[in-house]
Order: sequence, then C-alpha cells, then structure tokens
Amino acid sequence: MHYESVPYKIFKVFNAAALILIVLVMIFPYLNVMAYAFNDAKDSQFGGLTFFPRVWSLENFKLLLQNKDILNAAGVSVLRVIFGTIFALVVQFSCAYAFTMKDVPGKSAILIFLIIPMYFGGGLIPVYLLYSKIRILNNFLVYILPLSFSLYNMVIIRSYLYSIPESLAESAKLDGANDILIMLKIYVPLSLPILSVMALWSAVGHWNDWTTTLYFVTDRKLYTLQYILMQILKESERMAKLMEEALIAGRRLNLKQQITPQAIRSAEIILTTLPIVLVYPFLQKYFVKGISLGAVKE
Amino acid sequence: MPIVETARAKTWRLMKKNKWIYLLMLPSIALTFVFAYLPMPGILTSFQDYNMFKGMMKSPWVGLKHIRAIFELPLMWGSILNTLKLSLLTILVSFPAPIILALLINELKNGIFKRTIQTLSYLPYFLSWIAVVGITYSFFDVYGPINDLRVAILGQDAQRLMFLSEQKLFIPFLLILTVWKEVGFGTIVYLAAITSIDPSLYEAAYIDGANRLKMHFYITLPGIKSTAIILLIFTMGNLFGSNFELVYGMQNAFINFDVISTVVFSSGVQQGNYSAAAAIGFTQGLVAFILTFTVNQISKKVSQISIW
Repeated sequence: MHYESVPYKIFKVFNAAALILIVLVMIFPYLNVMAYAFNDAKDSQFGGLTFFPRVWSLENFKLLLQNKDILNAAGVSVLRVIFGTIFALVVQFSCAYAFTMKDVPGKSAILIFLIIPMYFGGGLIPVYLLYSKIRILNNFLVYILPLSFSLYNMVIIRSYLYSIPESLAESAKLDGANDILIMLKIYVPLSLPILSVMALWSAVGHWNDWTTTLYFVTDRKLYTLQYILMQILKESERMAKLMEEALIAGRRLNLKQQITPQAIRSAEIILTTLPIVLVYPFLQKYFVKGISLGAVKE
Repeated sequence: MPIVETARAKTWRLMKKNKWIYLLMLPSIALTFVFAYLPMPGILTSFQDYNMFKGMMKSPWVGLKHIRAIFELPLMWGSILNTLKLSLLTILVSFPAPIILALLINELKNGIFKRTIQTLSYLPYFLSWIAVVGITYSFFDVYGPINDLRVAILGQDAQRLMFLSEQKLFIPFLLILTVWKEVGFGTIVYLAAITSIDPSLYEAAYIDGANRLKMHFYITLPGIKSTAIILLIFTMGNLFGSNFELVYGMQNAFINFDVISTVVFSSGVQQGNYSAAAAIGFTQGLVAFILTFTVNQISKKVSQISIW
C-alpha cells in the first residue's frame, strides 16, 4: 500500500505479536514432550519442565530401543513406508500415464468405474468381512494393497503429465518404442518433481497410520510404532510390560536412572514423530505445491 | 487397412493398438475392484443375523431388525446424536479458523518471518492423531505444564487436576485438538486463493478511499468465497462421520461418549456383532451421501458453486 495509517501500523504490531503467540501454541506442547523425553526420568517426576530438559539424558531412549517389541515395530513401520510408497507410486503413475492417451476405447467408462467408490463405500464391517475372506487380516499386505490406488493422486499426476510436450514421445514412437518403454524412458524421468511430492504424501500417510493395525491386525509381529504408541496411551498392560522390561534392561545395562511411565510415553511420542518433524520443513514447499495444484484442478 | 472402416473394426483396431495402455490401467482397476467394490455386497449383512462360520449365503435374513435396533438401543441412538453434535460444533470452529489465520498471515510482508510462521504452524498437521493424543496426555498430565501453571498461579496448595477424565471437558478437548492440528495447514488453500485475487482491485479501492478493513470485507472475502464454499461442501459429507482416531484416542474409563465410528468398531470388530455394526455404518454412509448431495444442490442454486 502507498500510505499506512497510524491505526494500521498499530495493527501490524499486534498482528505480529498474535501470530507469534499462535505459533507458540502450535509448537510448545511438542517441545515440552521433547524436553521430558530427553530429561532424566527421576528428575521429571514432579514436573516443572518447559522448553528444555533440566537434567539431560538419553537413557529413556536407550531403554526404549533395547525393547524387542519397539524395535520390531520400528522395522515394520519402515518397511511399510518403503514398500507401500513404491507400490502406490507405480500403480498411480502407470494409471495416470494411461489416462493421458487419446483414442483408448472404454477410457471414460473405466474412469467412472474408478470414481464411484469416492461416493459409495461399504463401511468398516463389510471391509473387515472381505479381508477375512481373502485372508489379508494379519498379513503385511493389508498395509500395502488397500489404499495404494488414489483417484485424487492419479488426477494430479495426470495433469502434470499433460504439461510435458507430446513431441518427445512422438519421436520415440517413430523409432519403434512401445508405450511402456516411452513411459519409463521419457515420462518417468521428466515427472520426478511430481513423483517426489506424491512419494512424500504417501510416506507420511503410511508412517502415521495406526487404525489399519487396530482394525485388521492382531499378530504382534506386525505392530507398528504408531500402534504401540496407542497401546502405551490406552492399555495399561502394554505400559506395565514395557516398564518391567525396562527395569530388567536397566539393571543389565547398569544404568543409574530409574524409568517411569511418563518417561516411556514421552520417549515413544518423540520416536514416532521425530522422523517427520525433522524432515517436513524441507519438504513443505512440495506439499504446498501439491495442495495448490489439487485446488486448481478441482 | 481398408479405406472405409466399420465402427466395430475401428474400436477393435484401437484396442489392439493400445494393449499396453490397458495393461498399465490394470493394477488400478483390479485394486479398486477388490478393495472398493467387493466389500459392497457386505452391506447386505445389515439385513441378516450374520454368522462368520456360515457366511453370507447361509446366514438367516432378518429384514430391518438391525436398522430398527439403531433407534431403540440407547448406545446406538446416543452415538448418532453425539456424532451430529460433535460434527456441527467442529464445523463451527474449524471452518472459520483457517480463514482468520490466513487473513492475519496475509498481512505480513513476504520474508523469513512470514515463512517461519507458516512452517511452524504446519507442525501439528504432520503428526499422527495418536501422537496428538499422546502430546495431550503429556501436556495435561498431573505433573504436566498446565498443572504446573495452575500451581504457579494459585500457589502450592492448589490441587493438581486430571483434566482428561472430566466428562464435561471432553468435547472442548476434541474441538481444540482438531483446530490445533489442522488450522495451520488449512491456511494454504486460502493463502493461495488470496494470492490469485487481481491486485488492481485493491488499487481501485484505494483510490476510492477504502481503508484496509473495507478492502478485506469487499475484496478479499468475496475473492475466497468459492474456495470456502467448496471446502464446506466437502466437510458436509463428514457431518455424519466423526474423527474416529481422535475420539477413540481420547476415550478413557472416566468418559462416557461414543460416536458412530467408535460404536461400529467396538460392537463390530471387537465384539463380533457384525450385523448391528454394519447396519449403523450403512446408515451413516447413506446419510453422509444425502447430506453432501443436498448441500451441493443448494449451493448450486444459491451461488452457482458446486463440486459436481
């Protein structure tokens, strides 16, 4: 603006202050949990921590990470992110590429077939009954297959593909390459920006999901980190077991400190969130791009 | 190739030419068929006394027994009322929140400060709901910061409270956590919409002597109206479906509050009352669809903005 009135200047100061306050509300609870996770458990017992640990300690994490169940869950979470993301990308990208083709008989019928489930679904119980029938309850595949196709992602990738000039593909076609070869050699390398955005969304979704485990998995070997966090919060048996094992391990490792439920909880929260919290600031511009792209195309 | 080709021959030729294309679509079609279409017949279990060992073909048909039961069992009926109440309140607070925050952020000059504010406000969005619940447990712990603050203000004798076991605080907690997790990320769409408003409108308003507040009222808000309405239509579909992860996560022994999705889970998956749970889930899906459809039609009439 060309001219700034006095009230507007005052407003700007208040506005900045209000936004700083809002952001503090956004991040303080997380920083506080982090302070407890990195603080000596005995010292934490009676509270009083704010932003930083009082008595620095890594022992909460040491005790948590020697636990077999936690390590196994971390492994399942990582494997699920890797395989789930790769599979989803392959499915969505090849579908999006196919939908950029002209003169494919039945294309619009197939699109309608893919759209309908966005509006009608069976609900949890029919899904549960189907999964038990096709035997993917308590199966690693239940993490990978069901949500791998996303119409929304497919449409976003397709609109990106439309922005790539057709002449590239045409010259390859003259050289006798088939459609799949053209996709792999020309379109995949040119689509890396959109593919990385989709990969990130998918990875965060896989990492953060815990209801799939809750609904469809009872096998302890397939528990994920997020699911164990749920158990820690809601099931006293899980907490009792972790406490007991931490005490034994503490004695074996000759650690001085004692462990508390509060320390276990804080450390587990940080363990399940830190990978994403560390990475998201660097990725957010891609996320924002994905959102705006989606908004424009709708 | 003949010069004049019949329609059928042409289709056949194109299909043969595009055989690789169909192959590329096949995984998506197959996955959608198995995981989205195959469960649909399972809705019929709502009208049966479903028995897992007999399967759908042999379980007895009981008509509307389970649908009627929804309106008779206090647990079911109560969960429907709770869902509606919670959803209405959630829309009431979480629809305007990102608009207001976006307007405030929009007043900042582009630069490091603005970027930092934005980035930090997204943080809760990237946490899982169960992590949000965990952070809440920690924050409102008997020896957590909120109770510390209470003691600091009221003196050492102040009692340390267990906020999370208070029935009357349960809904406020759900509302606050929803806004906390989603408001920052919700601003992205609105900030993008504000950026796309033609700057010459503001210039013209300035020349006409409008102040800042008036400009927002007459230019910015109308400029983001269609974005807001589309987002509202999408939320309407969820009016009948509450956030299972949040409600289930926050429930504890002291809280008596169920929504449809938690009842479907506890009575269906946990206790095996498949038919009763399927019935209430089916009713929920049906009402959600009708709601989205209705709101969409109304919006189309009133403002010419719709998702279909």
